Amino acid sequence: MSDDISTYVVELKRDDAVEAVKSKLEKGEDPISVLNECRKGMTIVGERFQAGDYYLAELMLSAEVFKSAVAILDPHLAGVRSSQSLGKVMLATPKGDIHDLGKNIVATLLKAHGFEVHDLGVDVLPEVIVEKAREIEPEFVGFSALITVAFDSMKEAVTMFEEAGIRNRFKLMVGGGVTTPEVKDYIGADFQTVDATEGVAYCMKIAGGK
Amino acid sequence: MAGESMTSEERLWSAIRLEKPDRVPVIPTLLPEPVAGLAGLTGAQVCNDNTILVDAALEIFDTYGGWDSLYPIGATPLQMQALGIFPMKMKIPGIDLPDDYMFQLDEQEIMQPEDYDNICEMGYKQFYHDDYLWRITSLTPDDIPKEMDNLLIGGARFLEGCSERNTQLFFAEHALHPFFILSLMRSMVRFTEDLYFQPDMVERALKKMTTELIEKQLKAMKGTETKIWLLTEERASAYFYPPAIFERFWWPYTKEIIDAFWSEGIVTIFHLDQCWDKNIPYFKELPRGSAILELDSVTNIFAAKEILRDHLCFHGDVPAAMLSLGKPEDVEAYCKKLIDEVGSDGGLILGSGCSVPPNVKPENFRAMIETGKNHELSRR
Repeated sequence: MSDDISTYVVELKRDDAVEAVKSKLEKGEDPISVLNECRKGMTIVGERFQAGDYYLAELMLSAEVFKSAVAILDPHLAGVRSSQSLGKVMLATPKGDIHDLGKNIVATLLKAHGFEVHDLGVDVLPEVIVEKAREIEPEFVGFSALITVAFDSMKEAVTMFEEAGIRNRFKLMVGGGVTTPEVKDYIGADFQTVDATEGVAYCMKIAGGK
Repeated sequence: MAGESMTSEERLWSAIRLEKPDRVPVIPTLLPEPVAGLAGLTGAQVCNDNTILVDAALEIFDTYGGWDSLYPIGATPLQMQALGIFPMKMKIPGIDLPDDYMFQLDEQEIMQPEDYDNICEMGYKQFYHDDYLWRITSLTPDDIPKEMDNLLIGGARFLEGCSERNTQLFFAEHALHPFFILSLMRSMVRFTEDLYFQPDMVERALKKMTTELIEKQLKAMKGTETKIWLLTEERASAYFYPPAIFERFWWPYTKEIIDAFWSEGIVTIFHLDQCWDKNIPYFKELPRGSAILELDSVTNIFAAKEILRDHLCFHGDVPAAMLSLGKPEDVEAYCKKLIDEVGSDGGLILGSGCSVPPNVKPENFRAMIETGKNHELSRR
């Protein structure tokens, strides 16, 4: 059995990863260093995805391994992770659309790279998005959509951001199968992608590559 | 129309047979959601009343001057669920969602790992109707006869409307690919885990379902004049899975299905959402003219044409975002590019990428239809 949890993440071995996390915690290892091993695995998966060696399937499965490992780690990380956060990201599938598969993958990848993720869920009203943005004060806001009816909800939320004077406080991202550069322009976003790893790379770049 | 020298049916089959028709055939994928949008109806109205849906679809056909063949329409979401075409929980406007929302599938892990064996033992059809359907639907067994009656009424009204307009249905039957069905029933993440960690279990079910699908759909096609059917797959491409998964769990079953239908002279429309760029070369293995690839604009249709030129016909692919956000001149320019580059030597049916979006601008919809009907004829 390997001592490095990152290997289990890369090889999609959930049970082995969970056992290794438990074992390391029982031995008294620093939970942050254990978390960093898990993150290292996700970084390697992301690199393989970008290189075309891994596909969305492997990205999803590694994210499941990571989530299971972090579920064991979480009670040991209370109060530690936020101080190490690269930044806060608020995600939502706006009103009119209830799909969340892509958003959930992005959320897990962002967490794996050290971002604090606030997921508002699906079919979220523009006024709720704005209210939560005021409360959370994120550095990034991400909108997800699988169907075109969500575009107008996104635009409405952006108009409300502007009226509230908070639009320039964060970078706005839009993603999902139906989005295009024209959608980015329509809603006034800063970034658009249909590739979860590109979204993470954008946040990393803006956050200073920390 | 002046300059036309073919009937709609001749034009469609000319494109399918990779000949050059008098002009490109035009067939927008007009589903209930854009019908509601273009007709000024709510999602609740078109999702819960067959007659309203059918009448509105036919009215749109008339309002926009008609096109070459109608996408079959007429079933409500609950009826589609009862028939097994939507094997998932769903949220329906007027029932689970506000009236002005569009109908949406609600993906959850409903099918359990042991159900693979149930499918193999019971057969997919019996498993679905005796067991699985009742895990996902709000219908009761007593509701089914009434729903099927309404479906037949809607279907008859639609066929009558087609006949009155001297047009035909684009295809006679519709099914989801077994791979796609299992992904929807298990949910994408769980199904992906099954593919990687329990492959034999999945493979057994795919074999059983493929055999059943061929038998059931060929039987259904026997009584129809339209020798075209639709097979939908949205999750098997290289956007999601590596070649090893595609080659083991999708391609062999797909070839088996196509061969069975083609041997009866039946053409398969593949509704292929998402990016199939890396998978397109596989389709060269299919018999020439045996299939139509319906692309949603995420796959590069221009590159695909170069690979499959003079081999298979394409249907598509005006982007949904362009139809909902763009200008008529954008739509016109894109349609002309499709016609000139993909349809230059035949083998193109002009249409929307996937469905016409619910919030399509009427002027964009008109631009797509009219460019398709006029671009080539106006140059003569």
